[in-house]
Amino acid sequence: MDLIFKNKKTITLALLPALLIFFVIVFMPIMRSFVYGFYKWNGLGEPIYVGWKNFIDILTDKIFWSAFKNNLFIVAASVLGQIPIGLLIAIVLNKKLKSTSFFRTIFFLPMILSTVVVGLLWSTIFNAQVGILNQLLTKLGLEKLEQDWLGNPKIAMYTISIVIIWQFVGFYMIIFLAALQNIPIDIIEAAEIDGAGELHKLFKITIPMIWDTIMAAVVLCIAGSMRTFDLVFVMTKGGPAHATELMATYMYNKTFEVYKYGYGSAVSLIIFILSLSLILISRKVMSKREDI
Amino acid sequence: MMYLNKKTILKFILFLILCIAGFTTLYPLIWMAYTSLKTNPEIIMSTFALPKSLHFENYVNAWNTANMDVYFFNSIFVCIASVALTIIVGALAAFILAKFQFRMKKFIYSLFIIGMLIPMQSVLVPLFIQMRTLRLLDNPLSLILTYTAFGLPITIFVLESFIKSFPDSIIEACVMDGGKIKHIFLEMILPMSRPAIATVIILNFLNNWKEFSFALIFMSSDSKKTLPLGLYNFIGAHSSNYAELMAAMMIASVPIIILYLILQEQIINGMTAGAVKG
Repeated sequence: MDLIFKNKKTITLALLPALLIFFVIVFMPIMRSFVYGFYKWNGLGEPIYVGWKNFIDILTDKIFWSAFKNNLFIVAASVLGQIPIGLLIAIVLNKKLKSTSFFRTIFFLPMILSTVVVGLLWSTIFNAQVGILNQLLTKLGLEKLEQDWLGNPKIAMYTISIVIIWQFVGFYMIIFLAALQNIPIDIIEAAEIDGAGELHKLFKITIPMIWDTIMAAVVLCIAGSMRTFDLVFVMTKGGPAHATELMATYMYNKTFEVYKYGYGSAVSLIIFILSLSLILISRKVMSKREDI
Repeated sequence: MMYLNKKTILKFILFLILCIAGFTTLYPLIWMAYTSLKTNPEIIMSTFALPKSLHFENYVNAWNTANMDVYFFNSIFVCIASVALTIIVGALAAFILAKFQFRMKKFIYSLFIIGMLIPMQSVLVPLFIQMRTLRLLDNPLSLILTYTAFGLPITIFVLESFIKSFPDSIIEACVMDGGKIKHIFLEMILPMSRPAIATVIILNFLNNWKEFSFALIFMSSDSKKTLPLGLYNFIGAHSSNYAELMAAMMIASVPIIILYLILQEQIINGMTAGAVKG
């Protein structure tokens, strides 16, 4: 019996395809970016070894650091937007209204759409000429607030954050709703018998009971928002004047617009290190549950 | 009496919050749906107004002239091929990791799970260079392999924990009867894992259907682009043709929305379960 489940040939043959694909597509490129990062290469001729030059250039490039700041801005906007709104909706839905499942379906809907659809749809909504937002403001008599929502460097990042929150709120709502439904009813009932008000119940019982889930959601939210790329690429391509540049759009532009493959690889490596450390640190600091 | 009133008011306020939030979520999509049936002058004249008559020709135009038909079938091909490959390769690996005993087991399992943490962008450029070396650029195989690789961690994670829960005794009984591992896998493990396999199929299909970044850097000729990439190119070519843009976006989204409405529970569970544990 044991022989069958320890048969090296079976084990190797069955694991090999998965390992091979995973290694070639995921790990090898990361290792390669280590090598390419030290070369100057336009993709055509021979790569020229330049030592640490690419890394020094990146880390002294103001645009890269403003891109990094924008990444952090999106992380902050996601955590401060998606988590509280998702929690609020989940708490309301948990009151067992008749329409709970209807609203649940609606709030999760944006999650399944392609980021390209979401990006193009909202670009049209924010469009200064045909967009519904400006027209809505006109109708409400708030012409003063009209904006070129994505064209104004001062507010473009806020505009993008709204879209990100719109798309992902439903995801956190579902996670919180599941956690809320796991709170034993007798605890809430006991509090009600003791005469606890709604707010008291919320802050003294409900939120402490799901605190671990909230923290896990924050960790997830940080990891998820660090991956933002397509939405910004579709909506602004990092513009206007680098106002919405992210590390990933910066990397894309350097690699595919000006053909600095070595430089782009070095940026990839820096993204890898920065994102992974942020994700791991947030996990260490916030997540108590080991399975998360 | 006072108490009851307070409760009703609270309930009403909460319901109002829900309605506002729900409307904000849904209206952009409703707007997309009815704008796709208007003419361009109508859209520019009044963005809010409902269409005066239904212009289904926007869909015909988007389907034919904007190549949506080509993109649509490319997407279907790439999605089906990559999901099939992910499931076959992933299920095999999950079976081994769940039921076999060998030294590197823990290490190999963690390797795949760590894969869930790797930021996709850090692979974008070097993988492009690698695909170029392998002469796979502009070849659907590049997307199929990449989607498979990025789908493997969650697939193995879900299937491994599912297969692990099967009692060893039934597998052993099968071996006693002279069943070979190959047959046990095909005739027992796979059929028994059906619910978990359904979850990962849905999950991978959705992810691959939506995927844009890899398609953007790998596929250059128009005849090989997938839907998200084709949509993105649409704005470059017909930047002010909003009616057709909306129709094209509907073509890309409606099949997925219908799928979502039918398989809602599986989709929501799949997308959240993987994430919470990952």
